[in-house]
Amino acid sequence: MSLQKDSDLAHFKATVIVHLDAAYNLARWLTRDEFSAEEAVQDACLRAFRAFGSQRGPNVKAWFMAVVRNASLDWIKQNKWRATTDEYDEELHSAADLSRSNATPEADAIQHSESLWLRNCIAKLPHEYREVIVLRELEDLPYKEISAIVNVPIGTVMSRLARGRDLLQQQLTESQKGSSS
Amino acid sequence: MNCTHAHQILDAWIDNELDGATSTQIALHLKECSACLALKTGRDQLRLKVRAHAPYFNAPTSLRHSAESFTGKAGSTRSNKSNKKPSWRMTGALISITACMGVLAGYLIGAPAENSMREQVVGSHVASLSDTQQLVAVASEDRHIIKPWFQGKIDFAPAVKELSKEGFMLQGARLDHVGERPAAALVYRIRNHTINVFVWRAGDERSAAPVTTVVRGFSVTSWTNGGLRYSAISDVNRPDLERLAQLLNSES
Repeated sequence: MSLQKDSDLAHFKATVIVHLDAAYNLARWLTRDEFSAEEAVQDACLRAFRAFGSQRGPNVKAWFMAVVRNASLDWIKQNKWRATTDEYDEELHSAADLSRSNATPEADAIQHSESLWLRNCIAKLPHEYREVIVLRELEDLPYKEISAIVNVPIGTVMSRLARGRDLLQQQLTESQKGSSS
Repeated sequence: MNCTHAHQILDAWIDNELDGATSTQIALHLKECSACLALKTGRDQLRLKVRAHAPYFNAPTSLRHSAESFTGKAGSTRSNKSNKKPSWRMTGALISITACMGVLAGYLIGAPAENSMREQVVGSHVASLSDTQQLVAVASEDRHIIKPWFQGKIDFAPAVKELSKEGFMLQGARLDHVGERPAAALVYRIRNHTINVFVWRAGDERSAAPVTTVVRGFSVTSWTNGGLRYSAISDVNRPDLERLAQLLNSES
């Protein structure tokens, strides 16, 4: 065990566990499944706890998010039967769990359908685009931190974001055409 | 700059990741090229949609419990091994636990109201940027026009400052609301980012220094001064928003 002092435990909670929402959100978008996300984040917490004394970088959040990402991708690899890796099934992922996300109480029907539509569009993106969109738009992280989490150069973050947004915009245009015709 | 190059760096520009010189070049190109401008407008709309409407999945309570408890278990195994350690460590632990509980209690009591306030600020910000709503009811860079404009419309006088030297261009103002409360909305712009500053009556809240949180991808910096509550919100990077908050909150 690399933890040297009991105070490290408090430090671990204060610097790592505080990012549990961000961790779960990333895992949830990567695995596209509630149960898998929870398992992956638990695994990530264990991994992070073991490595906390020795391996964490200067930016604890980015380091922890990288651990979460790896745990999520490992989970997908090991549980292909459960995690929907290729085809994303909209029917399977009904609106039910959307209502459990932190939608505002006053969210009206329009916003609700907008959320559902967006969620399906983002979920359908290949994971390398999905993860940079989630980290940039939902976590508001700078390219440098995304590059550390995803473990690719900053230039690649930039081109993946551009491509990911292109793909989303295509879906947006198609759905607008569909609804107007 | 040609269109191919502009396309390549457009996203990095929107994300505030370019240096000043390149930002100026692409801004100039967009003034001349309507095709690239259209692309940029599309991107702005998409980002707004994603940030406002894409679901954010918070950690479920069950996960929070298990994350807390496994670290608790790991900690207790350790302390069993070190039974002989002096009791001041235990005292220290108790003090820190008590402190944590105090902070947690404060958080739990204060959090819901603050959170819903921030959600309402996000809601009003997003609505103000939609195509159907006017961003400003009075367009002016002059605080001597904006400040009197509020007279007779709201029963308080928000601080209005011209901050163009600092890079924040005053665009104008409008009446808005945060949740149910009527609010003054001041609009600033920095580079290509719109910042809304909502101001409403603070009730009996004491003055408080600016605090920033991130809600659905937007930075929200809030403070209280002179019986008024201020909330600045934008997709601009956090240091810029905090700088604006400091400037608006300062006496001069």
